[in-house]
Order: sequence, then C-alpha cells, then structure tokens
Amino acid sequence: MEITITNNDNAMVCAFKGRLDTPASLQASKDIQPLLDNADKEIILDCTDLEYISSSGLRILLGIRKETARKGGKVIIKNIREEIRQVFLMTGFYNLFEIQDA
Amino acid sequence: MEDYGLDLHGTLLLEEYRKLRPALMKMKGVALSIIREDIADKNLYVTATEARVKEEQSLAGKLALKGAKYASAHDITDLLGVRVITFYSDDVEKIAAMAENLFIIDRENSVDKRKMHQLDSFGYNSLHYICRIPRRLYQDSEFPEINDIPFELQIRTSLQHVWATLYHDSGYKSGVEVPKEYLRQMNRLAGMLELADEQFCLIRSGINDYRRRVQSLVADGRLEEVALDGDTFKSYLSMRPFDALNHRIASLNQAEIQEAPLQSYLPVLKDLGLTTLGDVQQMIYDCQEDAYRLASYQLGVTDIDIITSAVALQNLCIIKILRQGGGKPGLQALFDQINGHSGSNASLAEMIYKQAETLKLI
Repeated sequence: MEITITNNDNAMVCAFKGRLDTPASLQASKDIQPLLDNADKEIILDCTDLEYISSSGLRILLGIRKETARKGGKVIIKNIREEIRQVFLMTGFYNLFEIQDA
Repeated sequence: MEDYGLDLHGTLLLEEYRKLRPALMKMKGVALSIIREDIADKNLYVTATEARVKEEQSLAGKLALKGAKYASAHDITDLLGVRVITFYSDDVEKIAAMAENLFIIDRENSVDKRKMHQLDSFGYNSLHYICRIPRRLYQDSEFPEINDIPFELQIRTSLQHVWATLYHDSGYKSGVEVPKEYLRQMNRLAGMLELADEQFCLIRSGINDYRRRVQSLVADGRLEEVALDGDTFKSYLSMRPFDALNHRIASLNQAEIQEAPLQSYLPVLKDLGLTTLGDVQQMIYDCQEDAYRLASYQLGVTDIDIITSAVALQNLCIIKILRQGGGKPGLQALFDQINGHSGSNASLAEMIYKQAETLKLI
C-alpha cells in the first residue's frame, strides 16, 4: 500500500495505491497522520488506485472523518472503484462519506 | 485638550473621566465577557451583546446640561453602557435574573421603562440596570476602580431595539423638535411592536408545547397519531427504533456499529408515502425480515466487522421500494438521496436489484 499526501492551497489530497487491508493498515494509520493534523481543511481521498479495503481500512477512513468533524474540516472520497463502492453501501458507510465520481 | 466651554465643576468631572477612561476600556471587555460566558452557560440565544464607553464629546454635552447633579464621575452611571438584545421578550426577564446574580445592582437608580407607561401609552420599552462588577468575578491590581465604577446594562428585545434606534435618530437626537403627529405615529408603532413581541413569545410557547406533546405521544407509543416531520422524526430516532435490526445485522460478523446520521432519510420516507411515525414503525414490522436477509446475503460472505447504524434503515427502505414496485429507478433515487446524485448509483441499483431477485424479495 502506497499513500501519497500533497498539501494544496485549501485541501490535503491523499492518494491510496494498492490494498488497504489489515496488514497494510498499521503503517497506513501512521502515514495518514498529516491528514489528522490538517483536519480543519478539506481532505480529498483519491481512491483511483485503491484495489481493496478491509474493515481496518474502513476504520482508518472513519478516523479521518471523525477528526475533520471535530476540527471543522471535510472529507471527500473521489474515484472509488465499483467493488469498494459496494462495500460502502452494504456497511452503511455510504451514508457517512461524500463520494464523488471522477 | 478640547475646550467644551464647561463651568469649573464640569471641567473637573471631564478631567476625572479622562483619567478613568483606560479603566473603562478594560471594564468594557470584562463586563462583556462575563455576560457572554453566562449567556452561553445557560444556553440562551440572544441577538447581540454590545458595549461602548461614552465618548468625551457626548459626556461634555451631558455635563453642560446637567453636570451639577453629579458630585464625581462615579455618579455618572452610563460612562460604560452594555446592551443585551434578545429575540424574545420572555428572555429579557431571564437576562435580568442572570444580571442580578452576576452583578451588584443599584436598584434605586435602575429603571424598568416597561413599567413606566400608563395603561393608555406606549413608547420606549427597555430594562436598565445600574451595575457594578463584584470582586468575586473580577479583580485587577492595575485598575482597582473597575469594581467601583457603575455601568448601565440595557436589556431589550430586537423589536424594542429597532424602535429605540429609529426613535433616537428621528426625534430625540435630531436637534429639531418633532411635531406631535409624528411622535404619535412612533408611539403607535411601539404599541404594535409590543404586540408583535408578545405574539412571538406565544408562537414559541406553542411550538414548545407541540414538541412536548409529540414527545409524549412517541414515548407512549401512540405513533399513528404523530405526523412524520423533522421534529417528530428526531424524537422518534431518540427512541432508537432501528437498533434491534442493526444489532441483528451486526451479529452476522460480530461487527461493531458506528453511529451515522439518519435525518437525511426523512425525505426518502416521505417519498415512500409514509405520513406518520406509525407508518415508519409498520415498515419496520413489515420489512425487517427481508432487510435482514439482504444484509445477511451481502455481509455473511465477508469478514467485515464494522457497519454503521444506517444499515438497518437503508435496507428497510430498499425492501419498501422494491415492494412498492419502485424497481431500479427507485433504488437509484434512494442512493442519490443519501449520497448525492452520481452515475455510479445506477450500477449500485442494478446490483441490489439482482441480489433481491436472487433472494426472491421481488
């Protein structure tokens, strides 16, 4: 799992590449720290190359959402694949995140 | 220093004011923050809290007219003016009670203008308290006089404030004597605004009574008597009507349940033709088995152990839509409603529809 974070003017953009599964989540939770530190901004999670997400991955996204809610920021998920969108729907996460198409 | 042509007594009072001015400026911030904090602590909502230190020119004008009645600047009670403007006239009393607890009130010099009118007269309505800041609330070694200088606290409603401001501009301060007919018109307006203030309070009480009545009906389970709207749905959600189904779904994978907002489902429920909370309850009874089967089909083959509290209601709505013959367009409209319009919602609707066919839910 590769996580690339870029700090744009008013938004943090985080690109996920690979599988956000349980083994990858431990490192991922450390890698996303800059997002939590900037949770007062708009955070864009670019999931174009995200191949899979497990419960641990969902928890990481939830943690980002909670921090932005606390600090007044906002999370937008972009370009998620069909299979991951289905996971969001059946877990009810579809009701929690703003998901935008490409 | 500007010469205002005051007599010796007035000039000495003005000099005393100049020395007090730094303390007054400090006091302005202190008094405002004491009031604002207490308003926030008591969950009161007001239109504005504001304060001003009397300008030197304005004070000079006052001293020229009636300087002789003041022995010292401490006798001038409006060097600092603080104002709280409320939405409702009921809240004037609440702010007054709050001020009585916070400050030392000089009752002899405080005025309730609301009680000064005769039965047949209308006009300026405002509560003026002359206050001092007690040492238990604030002490400052640099400005010890802060606890001794009185300030005027005005408490009035927004409508009283509008009237007073316009009256001040058009009559009292314009420098031209206003003909009686216009004063009469201003006072007629004061009477009208007094009625409006009363009416706003009655409306607020009515709404609060309605909410309490609805909460009581919900608590008593008389849901069929309660119309489905934003307020009633919120009360209903506080009873956590979807918990049982959520827990049942969560138990499929021993999943944890994260809270999700459900208020966005209100328009969905209305579109489904539900008009009372009883209808929502009936939907739970009628659709919960199929909603559970759908969740079981989706989650049972995964090891996902986290869901949100929206799953139950989401699946109930899916089943209700399918039973009403809404088909794929109905499902797509549901997904558009809960996550915004997206081209991908059509394929999600397609997927759910196929699952429903497999499970023979249609």
